[in-house]
Amino acid sequence: MGNNPVFAVTVFFICFRECLETTVVVSVLLAFLKQSLGGGEDQKTHKRLVKQVWLGCGLGLFVCLAVGCGMIGAFYGLGTDSFSSTEDIWEGVLGIIASLIITIMGAALLRVSKLQDKWRVKLAKALEHERNPNESRKGRFKRWMEKYVMFVLPFVTVLREGLEAVIYVGGVGLGLPATSFPLAVVCGLAAGILVGYLIYKGGRETSMQIFLIISTCFLYLVAGGLFSRGVWYFENNTWNHVIGGDSSETGSGAGSYDIDQSIWHVNCCNPELGGGGGWGIFNALLGWTNSATYGSVLAYNFYWICVIIAYACMMYRERRGHLPYIDPAMKKIQNFKARSRAFVLRRPYQEEDTTSSPDNSSGALEQSVFGKEKMSGADFSANVKQANT
Amino acid sequence: MAMAASLGGFFLRLATLLCLFQFVQAKTVSYDWNVTWVNANPDGLMERKVIGINGEWPLPIVEVDKGDRLIVNVYNGLGDKDTSVHWHGMFQNGTNGMDGPSMVTQCPIPPGHSFTYNFTINQNGTYWYHCHTGNCYPDGHRQALIVHDKDAYFNEMYDKEYTITMSDWYHELIEDINWIRKANPTGAEPVPQAFLMNDMTSANISVKPGETYLLRLINVGAFVAQYFYIEDHTFKIVEVDGVYTDPTEASILYIAVAQRYTILVEAKNSTEKNYPIVMAADSQLLDTIPSDLQLNITSWLEYNAEAAHPQAVMTVDDVSNLDPIDDMTLVPHDRMELLTDPDVTIDVTVIMQNLGDGAGYAFLNNISYTMPKVPALYTVLSSGNYSTDATIYGEYTQPTVLKKNQVVEIILNNGDTGSHPFHLHGHNFQLVDRAPGYGEHFYDYLDGGPVAYDASNHGDFPQYPMRRDTFILPPQGYFVIRFVADNPGVWFFHCHIDWHLSQGLGMLLIEAPEQIQEQEQVSSQAYDNCRAKDIPFEGNAAANTKDWLDLTGQNKQVDWLPAGFTTKGIVALVFSCVSAFLGMASISMYGATGIESKKVETAAEGENSAARDG
Repeated sequence: MGNNPVFAVTVFFICFRECLETTVVVSVLLAFLKQSLGGGEDQKTHKRLVKQVWLGCGLGLFVCLAVGCGMIGAFYGLGTDSFSSTEDIWEGVLGIIASLIITIMGAALLRVSKLQDKWRVKLAKALEHERNPNESRKGRFKRWMEKYVMFVLPFVTVLREGLEAVIYVGGVGLGLPATSFPLAVVCGLAAGILVGYLIYKGGRETSMQIFLIISTCFLYLVAGGLFSRGVWYFENNTWNHVIGGDSSETGSGAGSYDIDQSIWHVNCCNPELGGGGGWGIFNALLGWTNSATYGSVLAYNFYWICVIIAYACMMYRERRGHLPYIDPAMKKIQNFKARSRAFVLRRPYQEEDTTSSPDNSSGALEQSVFGKEKMSGADFSANVKQANT
Repeated sequence: MAMAASLGGFFLRLATLLCLFQFVQAKTVSYDWNVTWVNANPDGLMERKVIGINGEWPLPIVEVDKGDRLIVNVYNGLGDKDTSVHWHGMFQNGTNGMDGPSMVTQCPIPPGHSFTYNFTINQNGTYWYHCHTGNCYPDGHRQALIVHDKDAYFNEMYDKEYTITMSDWYHELIEDINWIRKANPTGAEPVPQAFLMNDMTSANISVKPGETYLLRLINVGAFVAQYFYIEDHTFKIVEVDGVYTDPTEASILYIAVAQRYTILVEAKNSTEKNYPIVMAADSQLLDTIPSDLQLNITSWLEYNAEAAHPQAVMTVDDVSNLDPIDDMTLVPHDRMELLTDPDVTIDVTVIMQNLGDGAGYAFLNNISYTMPKVPALYTVLSSGNYSTDATIYGEYTQPTVLKKNQVVEIILNNGDTGSHPFHLHGHNFQLVDRAPGYGEHFYDYLDGGPVAYDASNHGDFPQYPMRRDTFILPPQGYFVIRFVADNPGVWFFHCHIDWHLSQGLGMLLIEAPEQIQEQEQVSSQAYDNCRAKDIPFEGNAAANTKDWLDLTGQNKQVDWLPAGFTTKGIVALVFSCVSAFLGMASISMYGATGIESKKVETAAEGENSAARDG
């Protein structure tokens, strides 16, 4: 991960992504309020509801900041030193996890405009409850919810996205120096808000999408580098065990790497030593290493091949409907999850229709990504998936 | 002699007496040595196989008088290992073939074969003999060789003499210590399991009050230098590496492997207690110090066998804080003056680096000594007029051809952070300059980069420089030595840390090859050993007897580590870039269809709303 002491790229992207999602929700709400109540006669209600939205945002942000600080404090309180003996394994695992997180997020980012539509639907549903008198007998809580839906929605969204970010940042960032956090977090939030605002403003769909494509490509470069780096760390760990010490003690010269695994090795440009300087950033962005191994190069190429296949599948799905083998499998998993949820919550189980048309569900997109990543054996992606449904 | 005496006559008698006297003075000392494996447990920690002579270990100390002829018939009874014997410090004037290093002056003696070492010793002092075939002497094949001199200036100054050998000791057979390998990229030398004095963990040097003793100290170890001192005693140095010195008062010595010091110790006038003789290993040389390795060995000047034998108490935390006498400051008793205006200057630098197999190697300049296919001496003898062309001795033996009686200067710079005791066969040499010297500044150059000798900017050279045959090169420092090429022969100049020698820290001096051809006799037995091992004994370093300058097929050092991008690196990088671009292309395509579908959607929505409105 380069361990750049100033700017943690992964943290930046996590913050950017979560913040973007939150702003999209908020912007949808604001747009909705403007559309339905902005017409003059309901100025007062409009103002009140807008206030509610911002209050929800603010409170959500506050709570998640508080919780987040606590959690990160706890992470560091546990002491990252306890991992130092297995530091390379730890960095390898975190690198691969971060890579998979970014990969999944990236796919969603490309369809962030879809997110707007999705939230419009959600909002509509939420407001439908208000108009449905049959539901109101569920008690005071329900009525409160109805009254303050404009507060609850942003609150919950901000809280959820925020906590998600905290967990990811905490998990990914454990191997990183604490100094690399603040700038990355601030930049990520700022970028997220900016893009969200542009989306709210409507912007030009095309330039917006081009922007999203570029930033997604960028994201994947980072993720590919991380993946390769993760494998590199595992190999480095093995090598350290072979030579019975820390290979970085031997600098970047001979002996710091296993020549039989080496594909290229240049004695300069080591991103690991002394913060790495420019090479550290180069490493974080593009996965540069001065000492490439068979494992790391193969992993990098393997990563891209997987990405290509996944996107080919998603494209196929969008154009031709559902995928053979994968979609039925997805449906089974979905049903199983629904069934177990129903069991836990002691509700009657209803067969859900999950074969919704891919064209109007970004969730489906993510399912297909999710499906791909599931094959790579990443359990946490369930979180991401749930967070988006 | 009896026949001569029977001739009678005063002059003849006198002549006979002289003859007899000569005979007594220059006797022949003969040994038959059967070199075999025996078991020994010198440190009390582990019994192991060691190389014994005639079934015994520790090995016999060879003691001769100056002028004697030494004949040692060595039979290799090891069964599984080659051998040879080097007589460390012997000039072997006219008998280069008796020097002993394998593939330099002879073929190794294969199991079941013999080699007879036969040479005259016109030197005096403290020497030692050891195996010189691969790493063989750390398996125990080393012992003192003392040359007594009835004319030594200090003969009247002592009552009794003792020989004290010091050594590091390994529990594993050296052939089983596989350390020049990929997994040891720093080239960390094997760490010994024990240190021995006289091949024991402690010795008692029994002394009588008021008497003076001559102690001959020899480090016969493979790797670790030793600090030596006797508690509450000072001593006088009288000889170093076979060269008599002016008596010089000292209290601490630093003795690297292969170095010798002879000291006079005056016993106290009291039998109250016994005084520890301390041998402290220079732990700076060790890459790691195992917790169970006892670095200090205590023996005793035993005044009173009944009294306590106290263990030495170290006065310093770190032995490198001990302040040993600098051998540069000693003065040779013969007052040989500094050699000036060298005819030849050999300027080489010690470098430690990794080669293409990932293992650590040692280099002089950029050559790691790799033995030739033909022992270099036999190349000299078979090469005729080519013998003065250094090319024929091979690229990786780093040969320098010297002319008879040239004054030779060797400048040795140390690009490495360790100290290296360098030994020159066939000579002792003048210690002209060295930096840094022993003492508190010895490790000073470690802070910066290596400091090379600057011929135009150095301290004053001593008027009567000390001479010796093994001299320590300080960490990242340098030394300068000089000698006269008055001893024709092929002489090995190498680091005496046996591990470094096997890493290639050595070079050959081919001294007066034409004179070698004139005077050197090689026995058929020596060639038989070559035949038994299928080692050619004619030809250049590549065993080529047709084209002497063609070294095709010579033994080479391992290839250099490829630097930077090789073909596979470039291919891999290109592939990675291509796959990254393809991946981004597919992302972009997918993203672009997003734009299209969005447009279609908006259009459809528009239509719908239009339809609704309509």
